[in-house]
Amino acid sequence: MAPSKTSQPTQSNAVLSLWKAYNENTSTRLKSVDAFLVFLMLSGIAQFLYCILVTNYPFNAFLAGFASCVGQFVLTASLRAQVNPQNRSEFKEVSPERAFADFALGSIVLHFFVYNFLG
Amino acid sequence: MRSFLACLLPLLAIGNVYASALTLQSPRFTISASDATQLRSEPLSTTKKPSALTLGAKDVLKVTFQVVEEEGKGVQPHQTFLRFYDEVSGEEGIQPVRVTAGGKAKFELNMAKPPASLPPTTASDPLKVELIIGSFVHSPLKMDLFDLFLPASQPAPQHPDEPSFHVRSEIHHTFQPDPKLPPKFISAVFAALVLAPWVVLLGLWGFISPSVPHLLSPSILPFIATLGAFEGLLFWYWVDLKLGQVLLYGAILSIPTLIAGNQALSTMGKWRAGRK
Repeated sequence: MAPSKTSQPTQSNAVLSLWKAYNENTSTRLKSVDAFLVFLMLSGIAQFLYCILVTNYPFNAFLAGFASCVGQFVLTASLRAQVNPQNRSEFKEVSPERAFADFALGSIVLHFFVYNFLG
Repeated sequence: MRSFLACLLPLLAIGNVYASALTLQSPRFTISASDATQLRSEPLSTTKKPSALTLGAKDVLKVTFQVVEEEGKGVQPHQTFLRFYDEVSGEEGIQPVRVTAGGKAKFELNMAKPPASLPPTTASDPLKVELIIGSFVHSPLKMDLFDLFLPASQPAPQHPDEPSFHVRSEIHHTFQPDPKLPPKFISAVFAALVLAPWVVLLGLWGFISPSVPHLLSPSILPFIATLGAFEGLLFWYWVDLKLGQVLLYGAILSIPTLIAGNQALSTMGKWRAGRK
């Protein structure tokens, strides 16, 4: 297992340097958005585990909860992509304010459907 | 009325003249087996019926006669039928008989290929066979020929829709058992698991501590407040409201939200442009 010996430290080095670069180069706004994304992912995973392992009995509730996590994740990810200053060249005509307005509108529509499903 | 009777009387007189009776000459029946051996052959009498005839499953019955007027001249009547009548069940079958111009008639009943008009038969009761002759110019003739035992017919095939004409057995619905909630303990564990990400989120936010310096500024706060009001409205929808109500209130609430959002975001844009 010679390669693993050499690759193990380089891998952890790579992860460490990635983490370091993320911590140093990312604005606090984007970090808080990332924290929200992590939160959505974790709670979606928890609900999905419950559905698989225990029961899907109030199936509409599961659908609503899981769909709200997935939908909110998608909306937030697109918000993050659009407000990231490094992506400015990609979204020239989309200002961060416009992106936030889209995010707010999309979230309200999503929540309307989710509450509809919740029963 | 008088003129009508005056018309009718000569007609009646003509009818009386022509209503001469028909008779049968040398009526005879023959029963033969399928290999043409003769089993029974007797002349038929107009007054006395012979003993009942019995046909096997493949036997052939032949009836021959000549229709004649009283003077002995052969006549072709307009209608000649044999009627097979079951007195017990009341079923009957009419079979036309072909009569030649000279009045001769030959009827054949082959039990290997029975005609469809035969009534259903049982082994116990015979069919009464009658000859019916109708003519425009003679008085009608109806005579009993003989009693006939036929092999019992097969039971009628059941129509595919037959069961739908009877009372059916009562339908008992079976329902799935009610789904059960898992035990309290498992529910509590998973509730904690689902709530755990909130701790992660708050912890991460606390660690990052994003600054929101303008949150309470008069241009931003109304937008945040109306967004919160929207979420509150949707929560209220879940708890109590009907769809029509929530659409109405949402439409009303959307107007101040649009105004506030427009103002807040344009202010933000100005700040951003100024900072650059």
